[in-house]
Amino acid sequence: MKISRSARIVIYVVLIVAILFSFFPMAWMLTSSLKPENEIYSDPPTWIPQTFTTRNFSDLFDKFNFAILTRNSVIISVSVVVISLVIGAMAAYGFSRYKFTGSNILLGGLLLTRMITPSSLVVPLFSIMETLGRLNKLDSIIVGVAVLNLPFVVWMLKPFFDELPREVEEAGEIDGLSPVSVFWRISVPLAAPGLFTVLLFSFIAGWVDLLFGMSFSTVPEAMPLTVGLMQMQTGYKIYWGAMMAGGIYLTLPTFLLALIFQQFLVKGMRSGF
Amino acid sequence: MSRNKARIKAGLVLTLPSFFVVFAFLIYPIGYLIRMSFYDYSPLRSLQPVFVGLENYKWLITSDIVSHSLLVTIAFTILSVALEVFLGLMVAVLLAKLLVEGKTLIDKIFCSVVNGFLILPFATPAISAAVAWKMLLQPSFGPVDAILNQQIAWFSEYPLLSIILADAWKMTPMILFLFLAGILSIDPGQFEAARIDGANTLQEFYFLTLPSILPVLGVATAFRAVDAFTKVFDIVFMTTGGGPGNDTQVFPLLVWKTAFDHLQFGQASTLAVAAILISLLLSGILLLVRRKA
Repeated sequence: MKISRSARIVIYVVLIVAILFSFFPMAWMLTSSLKPENEIYSDPPTWIPQTFTTRNFSDLFDKFNFAILTRNSVIISVSVVVISLVIGAMAAYGFSRYKFTGSNILLGGLLLTRMITPSSLVVPLFSIMETLGRLNKLDSIIVGVAVLNLPFVVWMLKPFFDELPREVEEAGEIDGLSPVSVFWRISVPLAAPGLFTVLLFSFIAGWVDLLFGMSFSTVPEAMPLTVGLMQMQTGYKIYWGAMMAGGIYLTLPTFLLALIFQQFLVKGMRSGF
Repeated sequence: MSRNKARIKAGLVLTLPSFFVVFAFLIYPIGYLIRMSFYDYSPLRSLQPVFVGLENYKWLITSDIVSHSLLVTIAFTILSVALEVFLGLMVAVLLAKLLVEGKTLIDKIFCSVVNGFLILPFATPAISAAVAWKMLLQPSFGPVDAILNQQIAWFSEYPLLSIILADAWKMTPMILFLFLAGILSIDPGQFEAARIDGANTLQEFYFLTLPSILPVLGVATAFRAVDAFTKVFDIVFMTTGGGPGNDTQVFPLLVWKTAFDHLQFGQASTLAVAAILISLLLSGILLLVRRKA
């Protein structure tokens, strides 16, 4: 079936506007990040930098501790991935395969927590972490993000395990594999696309967390990039140049992941509901 | 019987770690929260929590700050989700049409370009999005005012509109891709049949596309609304900080500020208990809606 000429024009115009709308804020951020400070303040603004500079990016490392903050963000993200994958995959598989009395209630309870307001959990976790002496340590941030991520992971992974063919697992059982080996050697490899989706979402969850980072840490040694970016806006001054560069720096990894693995993300959005 | 026992055992072993984590870092903290909600604990005044009974709950019910914050959150949720659904649906319908019926090479290339660009806002960390929008809407050197030839300080003159815009920018792609998947799962033969029956594009949308994706639309919108209501934080925190005054003080932000800015942990706990009750109520309704759909 052919699209009529007028319909085609409407479609193209709307979609091009959608592209511009999606792309413009970050594009503006990118060009601003390459302008010297005085040009950022020029009124009217310049659409293309008159003088190119990478000063804002080098400032991130020279003045705003971005080397340490990057290390912290990577540690947080990777830890959240590991915790989510191991505990989440086991739980999702358990709920998918071994229905036992009360398992539905437990699953429902776990899923209800998916909707909890994160900032309401920060208040008691802060006191607990304070008591345990874990403030200004990365592990308190990791725990906070991972706990809120876990229900989401189970919710997202269970459908993947539900769809796996039982026959293959049963064949493994007949061959004498224990339930753990069946899980580890048969089901996990088969569910690899689902696990990879969870890996992506968990990494991003760790990478973008602001709430736990800013509540639990006040020193650069235990601060993620998001908090470093937030602190470029002080009561006295906003470091616009560095803030633009920092915003680009923070966005680049998640953007590349999303672009390369778009199908996984879209699939995750769908099963995440 | 023994097989069933083995299953129970395997199921418990596999799910136990998650319950340990959830209990230690979710259930226990919530219990702690409930206890603290009966105390006055402000470290600036006294290091010892003082039991005050239902005092905090009285404050919760009577305080203008709390009711105002709830109203702001409801307004934010309704307006931003409505905008997201409208934009998402429009783009999804048009993109689906081009994906299914566009046969030329240009159509195909264009579709994949659109796909790539549309994921960008979703992949942008909320804090980066906030910073980007703060720049865009700056009164003197921001490009939006330059294009409009105005001097509008958006975040102080139209604060709610501004945070809705930034939030809709970031979250529309998610809803769009959900709708798109729903539309693409409609049997193309049905569109063919509708055309043969002489339906025009609008009729096709109203009588075929819309009814077919209504379940997806309902569930996705409901989920998005609950998420917007319970989780809005980063963008507001970074752009308006809840201001000017309390104009954009959404509920999750009020909880946080009461604890960490005003150091009123007792009142903050009471607010947090209320937030959790609201979340549980909403997600309970959601689970029911989802089961029906």
